[in-house]
Amino acid sequence: MTEGRAHDRAEGSAASAPDALAATVAAELRVMLAEVTSRDDLLAIPLDTALFGGGVGLDSLAGALLLRRIERSYGVDVAAADLNLDALGTLGSLADFIADRI
Amino acid sequence: MGLGRVASSLIKCVVWDIDNTLLDGVYLEAGPQPPPADPVLLGVLRELAGRGILQAVASRNPPAAAEYVQQLAGLELAAAECGWDAKPAAIGRIVADLGVVPDAVAFVDDDMVERAEVAAAWPAVLVLTPEDAAEAASWPQFSPPVVTAEARRRGQMYAERRRRQAAAQAFGGTRDDFLRHVGTRVAIRPATAADLPRLQELSARTQQLNSGGEPVAEAELAGLLADEVHTVTTVWLADDFGDDGLVGAAISEPDAAGAAPAPLVVRVPLVMMSCRALGRGALDALLAWLCRWAATAGAAELVVPCRLSDRNVPFRLALAAAGLRAEPGAVAPDGRAMFRRPLSGELPALPGFVTILDAK
Repeated sequence: MTEGRAHDRAEGSAASAPDALAATVAAELRVMLAEVTSRDDLLAIPLDTALFGGGVGLDSLAGALLLRRIERSYGVDVAAADLNLDALGTLGSLADFIADRI
Repeated sequence: MGLGRVASSLIKCVVWDIDNTLLDGVYLEAGPQPPPADPVLLGVLRELAGRGILQAVASRNPPAAAEYVQQLAGLELAAAECGWDAKPAAIGRIVADLGVVPDAVAFVDDDMVERAEVAAAWPAVLVLTPEDAAEAASWPQFSPPVVTAEARRRGQMYAERRRRQAAAQAFGGTRDDFLRHVGTRVAIRPATAADLPRLQELSARTQQLNSGGEPVAEAELAGLLADEVHTVTTVWLADDFGDDGLVGAAISEPDAAGAAPAPLVVRVPLVMMSCRALGRGALDALLAWLCRWAATAGAAELVVPCRLSDRNVPFRLALAAAGLRAEPGAVAPDGRAMFRRPLSGELPALPGFVTILDAK
């Protein structure tokens, strides 16, 4: 399902405002984060929430599951494109990273 | 017969049919009492489980049939696929769930059609008749050279993992709260000679949480343990669901180029950890401890070389979470990148469930 949506949007992305695309991606990422961590409270996190450490507390397991979902949904391999995984700094930085590549 | 594959690699998982294979009869057709076990095959199952080979069932039966097999065997199965779809699909789910490669799987079924279906769908799987399986305990691919304490408990640990995952899904709080909720205990202590077989096994078996990417021989590990230069540190993990024993280790050394008066650098040529420790705070604890230990020793920087692969992305996630960074342009031809972090300022925190031990 997500795959189809992401693909449709990718084709229309040239015409749409980049910020709007990043906002859509961020909304979808919140759902993925809530699913990989089993935490519904993550559905409402602001864009500047840190993904590692105190904010979301992403670890190896949840992080790997999230990256796999991102690759399946958007065709973006974050680990291959970003040696230091800095894209995973905050929800906003991850959404921008993906929006720039779809 | 599987004898054409005698030279092949070790079998890590055996998937058994139940009706007329592990049981002397058909589970649902035996009336009020389920049929008795086939004593020979159940004995083989128990023997192989004791060698650290995972035991699973794939059966066209209700889940109660797998529970009945567990009762008869007196042990917990690593995986149970009970349902009415084809056996190749069940094998696929078991392979994915347990993280084993098809070459390391054997399948035992009395039904010729089921065997043919699995053989066609999974050419790498060793497909056996019950008669073959009765002899299997004496075959080399069912005889691992070393059986560690962790290996003997492997099937049990997968059952514990299923219960832990169910609890995590129902919990809903932060990961750290969950780890405390289930009584997580991480111990970090120097390695001893008794740990060497397990350390060798970890170096050969771990991929997702492994910085080196290749096995290290036991003799080489013994040398690292004995010399004055290297420090071999082990990580032990347990919680209320069970005791996972020795799950990981780091080998570290002072960087020779960092001699005084230049600031000392601590290099960590190998970090390895069982994927059973994924999501349980043990790797984060080890990396935090390395930072703190190196800082206490006077080092200004921690360096962790990591051979990049698509398998060890979880390891890179832990490096990033611990604040280690590599220069994007500086990946060596062998795929190794140097992840480093300064040891000044705020260091990664050691959670309260971590105990640091000086020696055994």
